[in-house]
Amino acid sequence: MLFPYGKAPLALLAVALLTGATLALATFCSRQDDYDLVFALFAKNHHEVYQEVIPEFEAAHGVRVQMQLVPARGLQSRLQSAFLAGAPVPDVVEILNGSMGYFARGPLKDVGFVDLTERLEKEGIRERMVESRFSIWSSRGHVFAMPHDVHPVTLAYRRDLVEELGIDVEALTTWDEFVRVGRRVTCDLDRDGVADRYMIDLPSDGASALDLLLLQRGGGLFDEDGQVTMDSQVAVETLVWYIHQTRGEGRIAFSAGWGQSLSKAMLDGLALFYFCPDWRTKTFQQDVPGLAGKMAVMPLPAWEEGGRRTSTWGGTGFAITKACPRQELAWEFAKFLYLEKKELGKRFAGSNIIPPVKDAWDLPEFHTPNAYWSNQKIGVLLSDLARETPPAYVTAYTELARTKIGEAFMNAAIYYDDHGDDGLRDYVENELKRTADYVRRVAGRNAFLSQARRESR
Amino acid sequence: MNTLHACLLALICVFAGSLLMFPRRPQIAWTYLRYVVLVLAAGVVLTPFAWLLCAAFKDRDILMEYVFLPPVSRWSSETLNLNSFRQLFAGEKTPQGTVYFWRYILNSLFLTTTATVLHIVTCSLTGYALAKYSFRGRRAIMLFMLGSMMIPSMILLAPVYQLMYHVGWIDTYLALLIPGAVPVFGVFLFRQAIVNVPNDLLEAARIDGCSEFGIYWNVVMPLVRPMTGAFCLVSFLGAWNSFLGPQIYIHTQAKLTLPVVLSQYIGIYNQQYGVFLAGTLLAILPPAIIFFGLQREFVSGLTSGAVKG
Amino acid sequence: MDRTTKARGWGGIRRQHWAYVFLLPYVVVTCTFFVYPFIQAIILAFHQTNGPSSRVFVGASNFAFVLTDDEFWIAVRNTTIYAVFSVFLQLPLSLGLALLLNTRKDKMKSFFRLILFSPRLVGQIFVGVIFTVIFVPRYGLFNRFLQTLIGWGLEERWLEDPALVMPALIITSLWMFVGFNMIYFLAALQNVDPNLVEAAQIDGAGPWNMFRHVIVPAIKPVATFVIVMSTIGSFQLFELPYSLLRGGFGPKNSGLTIVGYLYNSAFNSGDLGTGSAVGWILVLIIFVISLAQIRVSGTLRSEA
Repeated sequence: MLFPYGKAPLALLAVALLTGATLALATFCSRQDDYDLVFALFAKNHHEVYQEVIPEFEAAHGVRVQMQLVPARGLQSRLQSAFLAGAPVPDVVEILNGSMGYFARGPLKDVGFVDLTERLEKEGIRERMVESRFSIWSSRGHVFAMPHDVHPVTLAYRRDLVEELGIDVEALTTWDEFVRVGRRVTCDLDRDGVADRYMIDLPSDGASALDLLLLQRGGGLFDEDGQVTMDSQVAVETLVWYIHQTRGEGRIAFSAGWGQSLSKAMLDGLALFYFCPDWRTKTFQQDVPGLAGKMAVMPLPAWEEGGRRTSTWGGTGFAITKACPRQELAWEFAKFLYLEKKELGKRFAGSNIIPPVKDAWDLPEFHTPNAYWSNQKIGVLLSDLARETPPAYVTAYTELARTKIGEAFMNAAIYYDDHGDDGLRDYVENELKRTADYVRRVAGRNAFLSQARRESR
Repeated sequence: MNTLHACLLALICVFAGSLLMFPRRPQIAWTYLRYVVLVLAAGVVLTPFAWLLCAAFKDRDILMEYVFLPPVSRWSSETLNLNSFRQLFAGEKTPQGTVYFWRYILNSLFLTTTATVLHIVTCSLTGYALAKYSFRGRRAIMLFMLGSMMIPSMILLAPVYQLMYHVGWIDTYLALLIPGAVPVFGVFLFRQAIVNVPNDLLEAARIDGCSEFGIYWNVVMPLVRPMTGAFCLVSFLGAWNSFLGPQIYIHTQAKLTLPVVLSQYIGIYNQQYGVFLAGTLLAILPPAIIFFGLQREFVSGLTSGAVKG
Repeated sequence: MDRTTKARGWGGIRRQHWAYVFLLPYVVVTCTFFVYPFIQAIILAFHQTNGPSSRVFVGASNFAFVLTDDEFWIAVRNTTIYAVFSVFLQLPLSLGLALLLNTRKDKMKSFFRLILFSPRLVGQIFVGVIFTVIFVPRYGLFNRFLQTLIGWGLEERWLEDPALVMPALIITSLWMFVGFNMIYFLAALQNVDPNLVEAAQIDGAGPWNMFRHVIVPAIKPVATFVIVMSTIGSFQLFELPYSLLRGGFGPKNSGLTIVGYLYNSAFNSGDLGTGSAVGWILVLIIFVISLAQIRVSGTLRSEA
């Protein structure tokens, strides 16, 4: 009996059976090696560092740990959709700062990570760490990831050029003073109409520098309760200040960008200062070996005398997924990676990144002079600043808020180019209010968060 | 003035020339023009394919240098090679282990062929029921089917997703195969074709003692093979190119299909165009093969259906 | 309809009742995966969800939000522009090509038909992947071609300039769909009565009159079908911009479509409720426009 549907469908049926059998075979054969813990992370340098220490953990507990390096963007979106749909996820992950908001969008019970708040308190870990770091990994008072770092922000500068120009960095204690000196320094050396030396590198579209400055001033996009604060008076003033420094006649800033263009700018002395969180010191060292011994770091100038002299930029955290079958083991693993003192010393020496664990800061590695940075004991400076790092509260709308404040800034910049100072402050205030209201509307719509708020009253 | 302009000018000259040379038979010139336009259109349509073919085999360094291929003098294993394919098949790391590109091709093949065969069976059976049987509710069902075709499928995206979650079919192929198992346009296509089968044949088979299902299998289906072929092609194309379903339902990298994987690759292999273009080339081969096999049935089936519209 | 004796077939089941057996797959699948979700879609639209597991009743707030959201109206604008160009640019081109190709005795006909139809084989996602490289500024195929042809366009950033994203989408869709719709028109042209054509030629009608009075009425039903189908399809555009713009929605949301907005709400933000609300608004839009189109074609027909 001929196949009634025809030759082509018959062929397709054959292919279907064949491929189906192959797939079934493939699924059975590739039965996963049984790992006790599957660990997904995105930072290549972390991957290298951990690879050396994991065998020790494996030996101590008689388990096997598998590390997977995955692209950051993919990790976040896949985790998100997998959590919501109940699909398989790794046991433990290192996640990027800002992403916690997404995972905590709905009711707390839906967050795919294990609530670590109690554990951190009971084992005394919370007091050992810089408190402000927990803000990045919390939602509604519950902590879902262990902080990896502090990332205090300093100003890095060309010590040799600065000394040549007779600038006393000790005196640059406030931004006003900084700007005053900056105006003197920023000039057109070879009279070709274009300035050849700027005081500081600031990105022309605001971006992370704006965020960082707002945090330093105690502003920020959101406050502790998740309320939008991007249109506060502090924000208005900072935006206006920023526009003045990056545009127009009194500008002291040049936008040098990243990587190679920043390196070139610093080599040429095009900019003297730039924002440098701890991780950037290492990357700069690697990118620009030619400036060894000529660079130095200093705390940020404060906004008012005696004010906070640092901010924060970036961060990584360690989270345990609720799907993990061995959560106690995962917790031990977290502590092993983040709290072993001897390791922390080594890590700082290798990456210049200081851990949030305060008692580690006495280790000798933190007190070693760093030849690249003019023999400064950057560990000491960073740990002093670390205590002051401001909290940075995240919500599910952090990404949206960042986009919107960028939009407000660009509009304000265009306004300034057209109208100068005339009405600038009012314009900025209105723009910020408009964009903040939009974010408020979107955030306020979230029925889960408002329900949670109602319940907590 | 460059080569392209020169060619265009030449074409126009030929046209003008043919008008002048055959003043009493203008149809020669117009026929010529007709062909020119058609050839140009065909050229425009084929160019991206040709470009794709070349791009998959060019070395990364010269990919953007030459539009199609480098001049013959520069042909070597440095300029034209299989590096893109090599990288494509090198495998990527996922939290569940390493996955190779073969796996994605296999997944797509399996899903598509299974879906197509499934659709053929269900639609033909349903169409047969509607065409050759009278029963209470037949009109109602057909009206309902017609109405359901008017509803854009997007409205069902969210609730079906929720349903899949509750029955635990997320991240399985069942979620991709079952909800769309009986496409209504297919039912109508088969019904249209089967209605034309003379009832005498059915009666004769019944008298011979054939079961109802036997009539379907032995008498009706062999007679509508052309329509089956056309529908087979349409169904295959739809399933092969399906993106939204796998994108939202499949979470394990190893189970993904080609459209989703390639859309991921344009983010991962950012500037390495060759890699995902090589993948795309492979991804459009199976539909092309099927189409060449079934094009006659396809055109006749489609046009007869379309005219009734 | 055959009213023969009530023959008993297999297992004593009345012959006509076999139909119910054959219809079973359709009924089961449709009730489970169409009717039930359809009702759910109504319910969901009045809730907010966090993924498929949790949900909260919010009344009509989803609709209120979507209808006052600037981003939604940008999506509507983009989608409408695309649909307009689909109907008024794409379809005339398809018709034109069909007219050119329409001879009875041509072997070349099937050859050209095959070639012009071939883009339809490539799925929207794959087309997007291919064209995302074709539109690369300075080195891409398209810009280089433009430069050679008319001396402009080498540096145009088709996918990064908000004003150029929609033109890029339209150009790509032309490549994809002109051949496909041409097939429909070709089939429709078979319907043109050759006697009428001859009569018109004898009356000395020029090509334009021939077109208007002989061809257009003959292809009217198919043309209406194609126009309505094309519009409905255009309003559901999603996969092409998604892959062309590499998973984003273009600078300043210039590539955001209604379904893109739906997808973003439902799957990027995890709120299936808002996604459902957007879905209903889309259904309404499509319904209204299809109705209008059919009405218009109806009045035109009664005119002619």
